[in-house]
Amino acid sequence: MRRSLASFGCALVLLACAGCQRDEHRKKLIVIIVPSQDNPYFKAEADAAAARALALGYRVRVDAHEDDAFRQDNLVDAAIASNAAAIILDNAGADATVSAVRRATRAGIAVFLIDREIDATGIAKAQIISDNDQGARLVATEFARAMNGKGEYAELLGRESDSNAQIRTRGFHAVLDRYPELKLVSAQSANWSQSEAFQKTETMLQAHANIAGIIAGNDTMALGAGAAVKSAGGSNLRITGFDGSPDAIDAIKDGELRATALQPAVLISRLAVDEADRLLRTGSTGEPELQIIPCELVTASNADNYRNFEKVR
Amino acid sequence: MNSTTRNQPRTSRFAWAAARAVLFFLRARAILVLLLLLVLFSVLAPEFLTANNLSILTKHVAISALLAVGMTFVVLTGGIDLSVGSIAGLGGMVAGYLLTQGFSFGGAMYFPPVAVVILLTICACLVVGALNGWLVAKAGVAPFIATLGTLYIARGAALLISNGKTFPNLGGGAVRGNTGFPAFGQSFMLHVPTPVWMMVALFAVTWVVATKTPFGRHVYAIGGNERAARLAGIRVAQVKVITYVFSAFCAALVGLIIAAQLEAAHPATGESFELNAIAAVVLGGTSLMGGRGSVTGSLIGAFVIGVLADGLVMLGVSEFWQIVIKGVVIVLAVGLDQLQTRLQARILPYLTTAQAEEGKS
Repeated sequence: MRRSLASFGCALVLLACAGCQRDEHRKKLIVIIVPSQDNPYFKAEADAAAARALALGYRVRVDAHEDDAFRQDNLVDAAIASNAAAIILDNAGADATVSAVRRATRAGIAVFLIDREIDATGIAKAQIISDNDQGARLVATEFARAMNGKGEYAELLGRESDSNAQIRTRGFHAVLDRYPELKLVSAQSANWSQSEAFQKTETMLQAHANIAGIIAGNDTMALGAGAAVKSAGGSNLRITGFDGSPDAIDAIKDGELRATALQPAVLISRLAVDEADRLLRTGSTGEPELQIIPCELVTASNADNYRNFEKVR
Repeated sequence: MNSTTRNQPRTSRFAWAAARAVLFFLRARAILVLLLLLVLFSVLAPEFLTANNLSILTKHVAISALLAVGMTFVVLTGGIDLSVGSIAGLGGMVAGYLLTQGFSFGGAMYFPPVAVVILLTICACLVVGALNGWLVAKAGVAPFIATLGTLYIARGAALLISNGKTFPNLGGGAVRGNTGFPAFGQSFMLHVPTPVWMMVALFAVTWVVATKTPFGRHVYAIGGNERAARLAGIRVAQVKVITYVFSAFCAALVGLIIAAQLEAAHPATGESFELNAIAAVVLGGTSLMGGRGSVTGSLIGAFVIGVLADGLVMLGVSEFWQIVIKGVVIVLAVGLDQLQTRLQARILPYLTTAQAEEGKS
């Protein structure tokens, strides 16, 4: 038994050596870590980054942390162990990500944050995010226009611990509170979830029969609200979302939703990979750390111009 | 020796040898699978077998190993502990609260030093463990239900502590006199991460308790036949409470380690950790019916799951396939466990008589 273990150990060492030699000829690795791969937004984001990195001649690995800071920590460790050249990260929490990013930076890996910021500057090479406040104001202005500036409305908020949920609701109210005849009758968190938005909306419609519009913190909740309105037999409610997901854009074409703010996820991913490439070749990204990219308003009049989080026309 | 050859036909002796070999492989399956995985990943991913990666890998394994080793006693008594993930999350939040909010005495803030924070956190988690034990042993609630209840209670409590928010900057401050907490999860001793030392120490203690002490025998006895154990004078309730409290203690360590590694405490930390721990225990050959299994098995099981997870990530296998592969490994492991039980039941009596006869001659 002991002898067989010893020979097994030797075999492992030999294998490792073989591995090292092969490694020298390989291309540099870019690791892309996103919250999940079964959500269209993060999928589009990951796919765009991966495609651009492959086109620039890198090896690519895509991982998902499921919004779990501990899992994200392990994935960053794995990227360090794999000698990645750069990490493109859509992080799992502004506070809880700082230590992982610092560790990767100390290990000599360039970290590029996309979509969400962290609570520290000077560690990541870049933080490229979409302008949630500007997007929220865009949608709210369109919402107020669709409501003709008056009537009762309800709001569906995102997960309250998520900073984007707070930024969006603040942006909504910066616009809507200026209309004295627009009356907020109910504001509920549906935790970004379609099924939760469906239930909450059904309840809200029971309590407030005169609701004429629903402004939602993201598209999934807007679609849940739309389904609830439909099942309640109501119609002509003005519902708006946020994100610009393909489903929402289809719903806008069908008239179920009025508007959404498209987050330029694809553009941001490509920017991050391009800057990573520039940093690895020239030693500098040539850009400031914090880069804020504006959102775009999608309504029935321009819905055909957008596909999969990207302006195609 | 001669007597056996004379008494039995040669063919059946070969069959026994083969059966004995099969049985050996079945018994050692967890370690064989682990070795197989190590070889596989070393060949496929060149960076896998580096000292740096093995250190990181073992640090990751330590998390599920601590939970799995802690839960082994519970499972050996025929119980189960679904609440460990939530307890870990609660532990992190208690530590985060004490480090960043402190106590206030009539307007004056008091921040306890790190050692006190760790002790208080462990105490808070032990309370949940004791509640588990009381529900199962004294109130007679089925372990699955009792710990499912505490899973929700502990998770809700964790969310309530911060109102769903994260406690950031657990590094502490010199002014408050509570720096140094991150070392609990991030420091190294002799080039080995501290969480790995905790895993080793905990395993050693648990192994000794399981194999060398009366308490260990009592745990196995209760799992084997609770009524018989009670009639034999074992304090069944007391032993059970201790197993749940110990499991909660291990979960507290995990919560502290994760909070220290992230330097932040998030209330959702530890979701579905219990499933990883149960999978590790089962992979290690411990029967969910109780009475059969070992602490060593759970440790190896945790390594199998950890190596599989990290190796597949390094290979860049799609996340969805990772989930499928993990499920297949768990189902196969339990399938083999059944096979072993059945083979053992059929072969063992013959083997022992043969051995006995060999011994005689």
